[in-house]
Amino acid sequence: MGEPALSGLYEVSRVVDAAFWLFAALAIGGAVMVVTVKDVFKAAVFLAGSFLALAAIYFLLQAEFIGVVQILVYVGAVSILIAFAVMIIADVPGGSRPARGRIAAATAAALMMAALAFTTYNTNWTDIGQITDEDAIAGLVGVYYEDTSTSPYADAQGGTIRAADETTKDARSGALIDSTGAIGTLLIREFVLPFEILGLLLAAALIGGLALMLNPRTEDK
Amino acid sequence: MTLENVLLLSAALFSIGIYGVMSRRSIITTLMSIELMFNAVVVAAIAFSRFTLPASLANVESPVQAAAVRLALTGHVFAVFIIAVAAAEVALGLAIVFALYRVRETTEITDAATMKN
Repeated sequence: MGEPALSGLYEVSRVVDAAFWLFAALAIGGAVMVVTVKDVFKAAVFLAGSFLALAAIYFLLQAEFIGVVQILVYVGAVSILIAFAVMIIADVPGGSRPARGRIAAATAAALMMAALAFTTYNTNWTDIGQITDEDAIAGLVGVYYEDTSTSPYADAQGGTIRAADETTKDARSGALIDSTGAIGTLLIREFVLPFEILGLLLAAALIGGLALMLNPRTEDK
Repeated sequence: MTLENVLLLSAALFSIGIYGVMSRRSIITTLMSIELMFNAVVVAAIAFSRFTLPASLANVESPVQAAAVRLALTGHVFAVFIIAVAAAEVALGLAIVFALYRVRETTEITDAATMKN
């Protein structure tokens, strides 16, 4: 891990560590219940709990925007939609039939887990601790302002990055830093085309869902 | 909480999702397992965004350029995209389940093997 020049940024306190293990256990426990419990409605409830634990983990990873989006979209919309579907479709609450091919599925899951764990521990991840430049630290955590007045490349590069002293101090102490604005900037600059396509996809999903539900051929029955 | 720990959590969630997709019979629980796998990928993206930096930045000594620095939050943007796509997927998937249920009175995968009515 090298010299901890950035210890506040990539090392975590003991409290955060304990909270991570707690929420990780909750998330994995909920996920296991989702795939094993017989009652589909209970599975939906465990799924919502697992999503909530994952939202807490996003907060611990200093991704507070994603954490809020997770709660709004997954816990608030997706889980409710699934629970709604379970309640409307009458034959589900009685419990699904016994699982098929359990051994094959468990084998595939174990193989996947082994491959992912092997890759995790055998890759030399580029460490954020290797950066010592104060301005770069501030840029990495998403809090920076663009000093367009001094840079000769102001138009082409979007200005030089200057870190505010307070920001760097916050980053080193591991304080929760607002990344929402930086994500918004990314979405309307570098990723503007995927962002627009995403809007198109959501509109298509909306119309497609309505078309499936209002299919006249099924209404005749 | 190191990068390896978070990636192991992601791997565990993804594997549990694979088990659910392969073993459950009900389409709705299969959709739930797919959502678990989506979430595993989001966890990995956030972890990389938090603990690593793009390879192009690893050996930079001079002041870092604006475009390169913004790459560091790319994982968060990917998470936003994944969550939006997953929401669209589950909405359409449940609409298909409803349509299937109206026609066939079932929500089991093996009963929906043909596309004929």
